[in-house]
Amino acid sequence: MEELGKISVWSVDVAGLHLVFNLTTIYMTLSVMGILILFAFLATRNKGIVPNTFQVIAEIFVDAFWKLTRDALDEDMAKTYFPMICAMFMFLLLCNWIGILPFMDEPTKDLNTTLGLGIMGFFIAHYAGIRTKGFKGYVKEYFQPIFFMMPLNVIGEIAKVVSISFRLYGNIMGGSIIILVVSYLVYGLIIPPFLYAFFGLFVGTVQAFVFTMLTLVYISVQVK
Amino acid sequence: MAWEQIEWVKAASGLGAGLSVGFAAIGAAIGEGYAAGKANQTLSYRPGVSGEILKTMLVGQAVAETAGIFGLVIAMLMLFSPAAGKPVLTGWAYLGAGLSMGLSAIGCGIGAGLPAGSACTGIGRQPRASGQLTTLMLIGAGVAQSTAIYGFLIALLLLFKSLPEAMNWVAACTLLGAGFAMGFGGIGPGIGEGIAAQNAVTSIARNPENTGLMTRTMLVGQAVAESTGIYSLVIALLLVLST
Repeated sequence: MEELGKISVWSVDVAGLHLVFNLTTIYMTLSVMGILILFAFLATRNKGIVPNTFQVIAEIFVDAFWKLTRDALDEDMAKTYFPMICAMFMFLLLCNWIGILPFMDEPTKDLNTTLGLGIMGFFIAHYAGIRTKGFKGYVKEYFQPIFFMMPLNVIGEIAKVVSISFRLYGNIMGGSIIILVVSYLVYGLIIPPFLYAFFGLFVGTVQAFVFTMLTLVYISVQVK
Repeated sequence: MAWEQIEWVKAASGLGAGLSVGFAAIGAAIGEGYAAGKANQTLSYRPGVSGEILKTMLVGQAVAETAGIFGLVIAMLMLFSPAAGKPVLTGWAYLGAGLSMGLSAIGCGIGAGLPAGSACTGIGRQPRASGQLTTLMLIGAGVAQSTAIYGFLIALLLLFKSLPEAMNWVAACTLLGAGFAMGFGGIGPGIGEGIAAQNAVTSIARNPENTGLMTRTMLVGQAVAESTGIYSLVIALLLVLST
């Protein structure tokens, strides 16, 4: 049980700074990116009226998320933000699923990955808000009910980043801890594959979708 | 202290783990049961869409279970971290972490179950809008869980904080108080945001054309309902960081 919550790290001291790199997370993120690029290459290689398998899968993703993005934002703005939303879902889905393979870890099991994506979504949403409402209108939002509510509104915005990234991290981390503990208790017999199917495939899909939709909704709240 | 230091830390980790997973189980189970009950009720008059309803119920239950899983994670982290060489205050931090995670998960489990139940009813009423209903249910339930996530954050901070070696009652009660602040502060917002999400899902089942307007209104209302949870988060953070 000693491996609970341990990750392999590589730390260096450069110019007085103590830098820590989570190697497993970096390898796994790069593998996920590689698989996605390969998938995109295969899906667009022989585009045609009669699609190949990869093109069909890619079209399902694009179609479903185009509808969701168009419903949440305007047609014009949806064209700008749709590629990010769709790519984010595919990345997170693969991140959450890759843990079911032996010797692979989910990059989303590391808080740095989810917090990074959450902060990215935060900046994109606020950039979109400033662009549509202008800087004055954007700042005015913070003084909304009464002027002294400003600090709490700011904390509320930052708390959104915390809640969105900790939700994904906690679910994936929790799933992997449960799998580890149960596998230890039953000596890896019979039960773990079902747990992988539930926590890896099912919860992973739901949480990837929730993360993507919340990012989209935060953008749409800022621009409307 | 009558006990040895290491025994107290071990005892507190057991107590904290019990508080965390025990309280967290209450809310998640009620929420999931509510969703299952509503699904059964709907199936009694609309058996034709049983597949769709079963799928929505399971997805909603998986989201409602998040709070329970968080409680389990905190409990496991407490039980399996070595107790030797830890200061006495760690035991109090464990108790605070258990209270923070367990109590805040009660409200959020119930709150995340409410929209799942009404999404099942809504699909029975309006099977064509099932995509919109599932999406809104996930967003609403996800936002309703934020206070459980703040509780999870406070619990993690308490678990991994480096504490002073000497025992000190002020610091001990501050750590416990942070757990109470976030734990009790998380119950109300979880249920309240769940009610907002539940009614938004019900209204979309009646009038699917207004999805955009209702989603925005629901989110604004939930943000206001969450403000008390954010006050608790601020106080809990101040308490944790001041020791």
